[in-house]
This record gives sequence, C-alpha cells and structure tokens, in this order.
Amino acid sequence: MIQVEGLTKYYLGDQPAISNLSFYADRGEIVGFLGPNGAGKTTTMRILTGYMPASAGKAIVAGYDVMRQSIEVRQRVGYLPETVPLYKDITVWQYLDYMAGLHGMTNPDRTDRVEEVLDQVDMLDRADSLVANISKGMRQRVGLAQAIVHNPDVLILDEPMVGLDPDQRREVRELIQNLGEARTVMLSSHDLAEVEKVCTRVLVINRGRIVAEDSPEALANNMQGMQRFYVRVDNDAAGKLKELVMSVEGVAEAKVDDRKGGLEVIATRDSNARPAVAALIVSNNLDLLELRPLDMSLEDIFLQLTAEAEAELADEDEWDDLDDDEFDDLAEDLDEDEETK
Amino acid sequence: MVAQSARNLWTIFRHEFSLYFGSPIVYFIGALWFLFVGVFFSISVASFNQGAPLTMDNTISTMGFLAIFIAPGLTMRLISEEMRTGTHELLLTAPVRDWEVVVGKWLGAWGVLTVFVLISLIFPLILTFLGSPDGGDILTAYIGLWLLWGMALAIGVMASAMTPYQIIAFIISLALLIGLWLAQAVFNFIPNPLIQEIASEATIFSHFQNTMVQRGIIQVENLVYFIGVIAIALFLATNFLGTRRWRA
Repeated sequence: MIQVEGLTKYYLGDQPAISNLSFYADRGEIVGFLGPNGAGKTTTMRILTGYMPASAGKAIVAGYDVMRQSIEVRQRVGYLPETVPLYKDITVWQYLDYMAGLHGMTNPDRTDRVEEVLDQVDMLDRADSLVANISKGMRQRVGLAQAIVHNPDVLILDEPMVGLDPDQRREVRELIQNLGEARTVMLSSHDLAEVEKVCTRVLVINRGRIVAEDSPEALANNMQGMQRFYVRVDNDAAGKLKELVMSVEGVAEAKVDDRKGGLEVIATRDSNARPAVAALIVSNNLDLLELRPLDMSLEDIFLQLTAEAEAELADEDEWDDLDDDEFDDLAEDLDEDEETK
Repeated sequence: MVAQSARNLWTIFRHEFSLYFGSPIVYFIGALWFLFVGVFFSISVASFNQGAPLTMDNTISTMGFLAIFIAPGLTMRLISEEMRTGTHELLLTAPVRDWEVVVGKWLGAWGVLTVFVLISLIFPLILTFLGSPDGGDILTAYIGLWLLWGMALAIGVMASAMTPYQIIAFIISLALLIGLWLAQAVFNFIPNPLIQEIASEATIFSHFQNTMVQRGIIQVENLVYFIGVIAIALFLATNFLGTRRWRA
C-alpha cells in the first residue's frame, strides 16, 4: 500500500531533509513514524501525499507512483497536516462538503457521507458551527473527518494527537484503530506513549534517516541488550557523580533526574556496570543511598537509537572532514593502538 | 477527464463565490462601486436633459476604470491567504490540478463581478424610459466591460499566487493594472512610431474605451487582447502556485 525506496529530499543547501529512506506499509497496518522535531517526518509525508516532489527515490502509494501519477494517488490518500488548516469563515458542514467535493464526491452520496463522518468523529451536533468558533480538539476531529470523508485506502496523519486532552486522545486513538483495520495508516508523532498504544509497527527516524524499524514490542526486545538503573548518593556537593558514572565501562548514557536528584543510567547488559558504579562511588567517599534497576521504556530506546545514529553520523562527518595527511595520521594511530593491544 | 475538470472547477467556484458573499468586504466594495457609478450615471442623465446623446458610455467607462482599484482588492485574498494559513496544503493534496484551483478561484471572483454587472443593468433600463438608446452599442460596451474585468481579476489572481502577503498582492496587481491603463500615455514621450504602436495595442484604453465603448464595435484584436491577457495571467498564476510545492 505504501512502498518507499531510496527517498531523498533536498531543500536549499547541501543537507538533505531526508536521505535514502526505504520502508513499506501494508493494508491493515498502523505504522508509526517516530522522531524528534526536524527529523524529516513531515517532509516524508508531504512527498507521499503529492504535496511536493522528492529529489530522488521512488514512492508507490495505493498502487500509484506519487511523482508520475499524483492525481491518482491523491484520490486514494487522506491527509491530516500537522497544523490542521481549516477555512474559518464557513461552517463545519460546509467545510467537509467542500473537501468531499474536491475529492470528486457528488450529491446525494456526498451529503450522506458528510453526515456519516461527522457522526464518526462525534461532531454532528456542531455541524452548523463556524469553524472559527470550535475548540482546538474539535478542529483536530474535523481535520480527521476531512481526511476520511472520501473513504481513502491510505491515511497519512501528521501528529494527529497534538492538542487533544486525554479523553479526546483515547477517542481519536480508537477511531484510528477502527480505520486502520481495512486501510493503511501512517501517523507521525514525537509522543512515544501514543505510538506504542496505537501502532502495529514503528519506524524511528532521526536526521532524515530511519534508525530502527520494528513492532513496538520487538524494539523493546532489541534493547534487551541494554540495562537501565537508578543511582542516588547523599553528599555529591561537587556534582561529580555523573562524571564518575560516565567513566565506567559499558555506560552509554547518564541523565540527571530533576525531581529526585539522582541519575538514570543506561549501560550495556553484559557489562558489569552496576557493581562497578557502586565500587567507584564508595572509593570516592560518596554515600550510596540507592542503586536499583529500571525497566527500559520506548522513550529510552528512542533516545538510545537516536543517540547511536547521531554518533555514527558524527563519526562519518569526522572522517569526511579530514584532509589526506590527517587521515593518514589517524590511521597510523589506530594501527599503533591495535599493535599495543 | 473533461467532466472531472468541470466538476472540480464547479466545486472550487462554488466555494469561492459563497466565501465572497459570506464576508462583509464584498458588500462594502459593491456599495462603493454603485455609489461611484450612480454619481456618473446621474451626471450623464443631467447632460441628456441638455440634449446630449442618450448613451451609457460614461457610466460603463467608469465601471471599467474602477476595475483598476477594485479587482486587486477582490482577488488579493484568493491564493495568498491559503498560503498564509496553510489551507493550500490540503488544496494541493486534493485530487485537483493546480490550473483548476487557479481558474476556479478566478471564476469565483468573476462571478461576483457578474452579479455587480447584472445589477448595473438597471441603468440602461432607466435609459429606455428617457428615450430610445442604441441597444447594440450598450451591449457591446457591456461585453467589453465584462472582459476587461475578467482580465483585471486574472491579473489579481496571478499577483495573489506570487506572495503569501495580501497587501503585496494588492500592490502588485494595482501597479500592473495602472501600467496597462497608462502605457500609451507614458510611451507617447518616446518618438518612435513602432514603440508607440505597441504601447497603444497593449493599453486597456484602446481596446475598451476607444473601441468597444465609444465606437460600439468588437474587433478580433480586442477579443484576442482580453482573452490573451487572461490566459497568460492564469498560466503564470498556475506556475507560481506550482513553485510553492518546490519551495514549501
């Protein structure tokens, strides 16, 4: 239903917004597109919906090429952009009627269908309200209604949960899950908990590249190689705990917990990081108050994956930036290191 | 394919046309328009009483001249506002072609003007009570008026597609229309017959005022002029809208 190969998009400048993206999404799947702001989620979605062309690569949506058969794709895709853009001077009904008309629906089917989707998003009683006068949550629901009004095969939703209260989130989540049973849904988010609840598969994207792709559960399993624990000391006036912990072999990340003042540490599972941290704390005359394991959440996995991808990129950049002499020097150093080992 | 385009044009036209009449601005513009035109018509009626020929020339010239100022105001919102508020993202991802968006919006604005023109038919109706005006003359002038407005609105749509700022769109189309109105006067200072000839042909005045209104005739070159400028402006508007996709 969605098949993307080598998709690349350059805006002005040398840095691509997305670089060589490849992924797929089948009917019945709800694929989550997860990444921080500026990762390339909106760019990808705008290409898939025919809003703008890619610089390179290929994308097939609902069986049609988005570049060469844009109109055919647009007939079969429902799109909810990030900041739900609505015409404010008309009523909810008029708006949906217009959007249905733009998708080629004619009366009397159009009227029936508008009524049906308004009912689906629970906005039937506000059909005659001016769009300008409805709340943000309602606008989000109207936005969702316009995305499904023409019964599309593929739904592309850019941050559909933003600005909703918990009740509305639950409603929209259920709606998306219902819609996803017979369609292909792709939704972007930087909210991990939401993606975990609604998606069957997750693509993690950072700096225009996909850094991981799996089911939410499998992603967590992949990270079984990592352990997370919490450490707190009493008399760390100099604030050197973080530095100490980071110096322990196997520790990938240490994050200060603002509320309780301790450290959240992520380390490789096979390393002996926990006892080593304990020993180091004691030998530095700090009083160890707490040291306990924590579960890995998707949040941690996400941070970890994006950090890894960034480290990789940084390494590449470092090598790229070297001139020939520096490159030779560095290569020699590495050889010497190998020999001494 | 043709049926599909016609349906899309109708959908966009209907939306734009009803948006106009849902906002107070169009009533304000309409009121201003009829005030001006009414004053000029009264002056004409006064001159008829002193023996001047019974024509609509002055009234229709005024309605044409007002296009310079009113058409930019009517059209500045059409595409600019969609770009500024982001609604163009849904319009450009709906299964409609860019040219259908542009032409549909232009037709919406032209529809509003057509309503104005139809209401203004009350003036020639009044003339028939005063005597027997030349119906052919009046019809020709009205056709010229309608085409001139179509052209002015097309230029306005083009300006609106160039920028997300309505006021800039207004200034661009105002400048272009003043230029087209005054081209001949400006180029009269250059003593080159070829340039003067070109300037004269490019001027709204020579096609509308001198030919269709005063002489009461329609020449092929008049039609080519108005329809040609409409086509060029809408073509450019479509391309400006298209470049939004690249720059988005």
